[in-house]
Amino acid sequence: MFTFTVARRYLFSNPGQTALLIFGVALGVTAFVFITALIQGLAIRLTDELTANSAHVSLEPAMRIARVLPGEDAETASVAIVSTFQRPQIRPWRSTVALLSTQPSVLAISPQISGSAFVVKGETVAPVAVTAIEPSNLDAISPISPKIVSGDANLGTDGILIGARLAENLGLSAGQPVLLRTDRGIDRLLTIRGIFQTGVQALDERVAYLSIQTARPLFRLPEGVTNIEVKLVDPGEARTTAAFLQAATGLRATAWQDKNAYLEGALVAQAQTGKLIQAFSLISVLIGIASALSLSANRRQGEIGIMRAFGVSRSFIAAVFVLQGLLIGVVGASLGCFSGFVLCFWLATLTKPDGTMALPIAPEEGGYVAVFLLTTFGAVLASVIPARSAARLDPLEAIQQ
Amino acid sequence: MSAVLDARGIGMTFRNGDEMTEVLKDVDLSLEPGELAALLGASGSGKSTLLSIVGLLLKPTTGSIEIAGRRVEALSDAERAVFRNQRLGFIFQFHHLLPDFTATENVAFPAAAPAGGISAAMRSRARDLLARVGLSDRMDFPATRLSGGQKQRVAIARALMNKPELILADEPTGSLDRVAAEQVLDLMREVNLEDKATFLICTHDLNVAARCTRRVTLKDGRVEQVVQG
Ligand SMILES: Nc1ncnc2c1ncn2[C@@H]1O[C@H](COP(=O)(O)OP(=O)(O)OP(=O)(O)O)[C@@H](O)[C@H]1O
Ligand SMILES: [Mg+2]
Repeated sequence: MFTFTVARRYLFSNPGQTALLIFGVALGVTAFVFITALIQGLAIRLTDELTANSAHVSLEPAMRIARVLPGEDAETASVAIVSTFQRPQIRPWRSTVALLSTQPSVLAISPQISGSAFVVKGETVAPVAVTAIEPSNLDAISPISPKIVSGDANLGTDGILIGARLAENLGLSAGQPVLLRTDRGIDRLLTIRGIFQTGVQALDERVAYLSIQTARPLFRLPEGVTNIEVKLVDPGEARTTAAFLQAATGLRATAWQDKNAYLEGALVAQAQTGKLIQAFSLISVLIGIASALSLSANRRQGEIGIMRAFGVSRSFIAAVFVLQGLLIGVVGASLGCFSGFVLCFWLATLTKPDGTMALPIAPEEGGYVAVFLLTTFGAVLASVIPARSAARLDPLEAIQQ
Repeated sequence: MSAVLDARGIGMTFRNGDEMTEVLKDVDLSLEPGELAALLGASGSGKSTLLSIVGLLLKPTTGSIEIAGRRVEALSDAERAVFRNQRLGFIFQFHHLLPDFTATENVAFPAAAPAGGISAAMRSRARDLLARVGLSDRMDFPATRLSGGQKQRVAIARALMNKPELILADEPTGSLDRVAAEQVLDLMREVNLEDKATFLICTHDLNVAARCTRRVTLKDGRVEQVVQG
């Protein structure tokens, strides 16, 4: 294609200027890749941390709420009243666990008794949320054993695990007895087997672990459980799995995303900020291309005029400029994707003194295809303005310049 | 034989807002094949304007133009471009070579652009033309490395590339020194004689005029005088 030859000659005509232009495009693309990889990396890190330490689907008894029952006509309606005295529980939990364990998508199952209690030491009373589990299942949902800082994770029949902050507040240490008073009004003296530290203040101050056998009389639940926590092979499948389990068991199934709606909101807000930065880096790239080509078209008025005089068509002239834009876009975007990847890859290897990544960057999530296509397409669009003005030059005026 | 150029009743009035400038009034100009005609007249008499009209670069206010048997004044913009490309050759005071191309490529350009590339046949014709204008040893020079006179000779070769019926030259020797101007003139005369190419040359230079077969003088927007031979 002869237009291509001419476009290439024009670009090579001033190699320094063209190199600078391509460098500018590559820089903008690098910025785009960096911000995309950073935001994706941040989202991945946040969800990973959350899904690693919490259940992916929680099963609870179907909620019994007050509701209006439809009557014969609009006048008469009756209301179903929910008893709050009766503790909601899952009685046939063994069959539910059996069903769950046949599902290939399920990684771990933990039937639990959850309830509220107070830890009492002398005059001091501290509220805790009790999670009672099968001792063999202690680490199934959120690994606790690795976070034990004092004592051990062996619950036994009268053991309790408490957080480091609670221990500190009440002056308790591993091996000491402590009184637990449940919301069912039952007191029992337990032994602190271990103290854990998760780093999350709310957990370290307000959560206690018991074995499910210990908890049964304390919460007056001789056979049932209050909830079943499930971990999946793929946390991304939580919503579909939850819907399936809800239909299959009649229990209320909640996916982790719905329990942590704030996270989704934060991720969306973060993604939008990212989009704004991406848009600005692309726009500056495109303005650069448009202005460089406009300058070139202006400088070449005489030549363009003579070409038009000896009968070269307007579309030929326009094509020469659009092709220049295309070439700059393709080369600049390729270089930018490459340097963006190298930059992100390098940043991902940087670690903080504790060995974790300094920046939660995901080099493979740089949006390379998107930025390549956007830049190339945008470069063509940006060259349309100079291409049109070059093609519309009046040959006579251009020659007389 | 029919005329290469037959322009009748050409009038040209430039309009800039409310200001009207009447440059040409009722000009008739006819050229036979093989003529080498000079267009003379004082500065501002409308020589370049008439040349641009005949070269289909400017639409006249009134009048009709026939070139090589074809009525052209009503052609569309794109048709004019094709007509210029196939039938007309242009030589300007400033060569306007394409600086990023070699002498050969510059000469071949008018054929290459519509065809989508420089074919071997085009290249060899361009080289023949360059040899003819005495630039055998400069064929692959970039245009920027030629002297002023050499550039103008490349521009002449370029004007001949598509074997035009009519070659329009506006002050072709205007920016050259005596010797270079003489060479360019000899060249045009030679092409005129050998190819029977018809030339219309705007010039102030009486030396140029003297070498032409016909001299047309413009004054006050009209043809004042035509001298043959
Ligand atoms: N676009 C235009 N608008 C208005 N007036 C114009 C325009 N182009 C040319 N003119 C006027 O037309 C007249 C003739 O100009 P032209 O260039 O044809 O003269 P010329 O005979 O070629 O002169 P010279 O020998 O100096 O080249 C001039 O007075 C000029 O000012
Ligand atoms: Mg003039």
